[in-house]
Amino acid sequence: MASSWCWSCLSRLRTTPTPRAILPAQSITPRISTASFHSSAVQYANPTKKKGSLVAVKYRQGQTLRRKKKKTTERARPPAVGERKALRKRIVLSNPNALEVEGMKDLSLETMVDARLRGAVLGLPVPMLDQLRAVQAFKPKQGWSIFRRPGTVLRRDTLEMGRLFEKISGEGDAAEKGKVVKKIITGLKGSGKTVHLLQAMAMGFLKKWVVVTVPDARELVSGDTGYSLIEGTNPPQYVQPNATSALLMRTVEANREVLSSLKVSQQHPALKGLKPSSTLEDLAKLGFQDAAVAWPVFQALWTELTATAAAPGMEKDFQPRPPMLVAVDGLAHWMKESAYRASDFTPVHAHDLVFVKHFLSLLQNGQASLKNGGMLLYATSTSNNPSIYSLEVALDQLAARQAGTSPSSPDYPSPEAYSGADARVLDLFKPTTGKEPQLELQTLGGLTRDETRGYLEYFARSGLLREEVNETWVGEKWSLAGGGIIGELEKLGRHVRSTAKTVPAAN
Amino acid sequence: MARPTPSGLTQAFQALRLHPSSTYRPVTRCLARQTRAYATEVEGQQPPATTQEQVAAAPEIDFTNFSRRPARIIPASPSYFSGSPRFIDHVLKLEQLQAKYASLPTVAAGEAPRMAWFKLAQFRDYVGEPVPMKKYKSLVKILQRLNRIQPAMVPGEVKNTLESFLRPGNPYAVQHAQRTVDENGRARAKGKRKESTAVVQLVEGEGEVLVNGKLLVEAFQRVHDRESALWALRCTQRLDKYNAWITVHGGGVTGQAEAITLAIGRALLLHEPGLKPVLRKAGVITVDARRVERKKPGHVKARKMPTWVKR
Repeated sequence: MASSWCWSCLSRLRTTPTPRAILPAQSITPRISTASFHSSAVQYANPTKKKGSLVAVKYRQGQTLRRKKKKTTERARPPAVGERKALRKRIVLSNPNALEVEGMKDLSLETMVDARLRGAVLGLPVPMLDQLRAVQAFKPKQGWSIFRRPGTVLRRDTLEMGRLFEKISGEGDAAEKGKVVKKIITGLKGSGKTVHLLQAMAMGFLKKWVVVTVPDARELVSGDTGYSLIEGTNPPQYVQPNATSALLMRTVEANREVLSSLKVSQQHPALKGLKPSSTLEDLAKLGFQDAAVAWPVFQALWTELTATAAAPGMEKDFQPRPPMLVAVDGLAHWMKESAYRASDFTPVHAHDLVFVKHFLSLLQNGQASLKNGGMLLYATSTSNNPSIYSLEVALDQLAARQAGTSPSSPDYPSPEAYSGADARVLDLFKPTTGKEPQLELQTLGGLTRDETRGYLEYFARSGLLREEVNETWVGEKWSLAGGGIIGELEKLGRHVRSTAKTVPAAN
Repeated sequence: MARPTPSGLTQAFQALRLHPSSTYRPVTRCLARQTRAYATEVEGQQPPATTQEQVAAAPEIDFTNFSRRPARIIPASPSYFSGSPRFIDHVLKLEQLQAKYASLPTVAAGEAPRMAWFKLAQFRDYVGEPVPMKKYKSLVKILQRLNRIQPAMVPGEVKNTLESFLRPGNPYAVQHAQRTVDENGRARAKGKRKESTAVVQLVEGEGEVLVNGKLLVEAFQRVHDRESALWALRCTQRLDKYNAWITVHGGGVTGQAEAITLAIGRALLLHEPGLKPVLRKAGVITVDARRVERKKPGHVKARKMPTWVKR
């Protein structure tokens, strides 16, 4: 390296570093003076930024603009297709953190009609849970996951239903074997309509009935499953093969024990793979593999289940068929035009779907169809509910008939003129004639105070409720829950909350 | 004045604006009345004497001798030259009364009959003068002092004067009928909050509640709203002792719930007046009179201003 000393004059060539070109201070940050012609007043201006001292250019600092690169954060992958839905629809029936309730009885043939147990929470038998899961009796958000094991309250309606089950099965005092009971179940939101159906299913399993359910009526009309026209039908009818197949699978899964004990007793020329010795389970299984034959298989299964006697030549091991329980939830969806379209793009009415039509026809001719007796429970829903005027009128008419108003009286509700009420819906609920039993309307209300107390005690004994359950406290919750609406009671019971300090009354 | 005469002379006089007077004065003495005469005219030629007596004007004011002569003209009110003479007159009159009847026995301030004096704006209308607040207050003080004179001994003069300062239709004189539980055991009460108004009929019962014909759960989905609606009954542990039949309209869900709180609290007081301290402690008696503040021009909302934009 060359020395910085000048050899000729012995002086430093550059004693001071080269003066840097420093820009005049003003030119670095151009001053922007406010214009004098603002329309808005200065006092509303955003506070001006504090003018920092000019950034001194540091020695040997680069002048180029440096930007920080955005870090690409590793994001969690979104859940796989269907995972979110599975999580949403997941049904958890047990919570190991909840306390085991001592002395809790199971629902059984004896307890389901025991009036002394009214207001108690009865556990669902553990072996039955798989069956109930198979018929999709449990719904998410019913609060099953906060208790050690699923249980339901034995309320007045449940006891009455238990007695009906006994009666139809041909037991008890006033046995009416082979009777068909047809009920529409309505009630407020959270009044326990779906759980009522669940209790019915549980009783059906206990009584070894055949339980056929449609857990969500909406799925059949929302356009989610495939449909096809049945050739040669007028007016055109549509079949839903996949939905039928799923119904068969549900029914077989839940009723395996009953179906496998029953043999085929009728001729089914349409079904080739059927042997005379095969069971009803085998029959239903035909519809699993091939959705195309699901509907004929279902019809065959239905004729088998409702048969009172074997066809000639097949009497060898015919056993009497058990009564049937048919439970449908969310009836209102079946009273409107579906999301399906006909070939001319007109909407298909839900009553033109054979699946729907089959179950709805039972409301009119249930006794004729279910010869071995049984129960038809069709529940309305309030959470996912289309507003259908004609159904409202029809249910009003039903209630009026039940209250003793004659259909010819002027007090009998009728649809308003020009309201365009659906005649097919009104026809469905019109009074039946002949031997056919009348349709009943069952409106679920709130629990009584005693039932409320039993229900809330169950919360307390499960360790969810840390309050003294006494008469006053129960009465208070009963009022807050709108007169013992069970869904609201559940909300009140599960809330872990500080108790409101009540001021003791002066007198 | 000029009497109608057959001769046209009066008219001629009027046309000439000549005012004949009873005592004739030469034209030269009064410059204003000087009429122009022709040069050929003989000065001092008089009109005929017959017309002079008929036309008589008012006598001239003689400033030299009044009948009764003040030093200067005095206005009727001594406070004529102040800014607010009528107000001061009132004050003076009241002070005079106060001084006159100062010796009369008085009662304590709380026992004096309640009077609704004019409000300031009304008083200003009454006197027609811009009276300041402070001065009006001092006037009211005198009124109150006069009002404290023992009712049996109030002089008619004072009574009349005080009555002239009362608001029309003396509101304190109206006696409100005390609300009670009716013959069917219903207590009816109203409550308001925000935009909502609730009417409650409270009867003894088992804790059933209907809001606009619906169950409580249908009317209020939130548990919090249900609790606040029934708070009056809950904090007194009367929830299972009364049935409530409620009509509520206007406003939103929270407002309706809190209007019901107030109404139930008032209705409960009709059944059990002894609960008042408990209810007051629970905050059921106190009326929340707040309402939505109005929007102002130039503002985005009640207080919010538009964002400042340069140019």
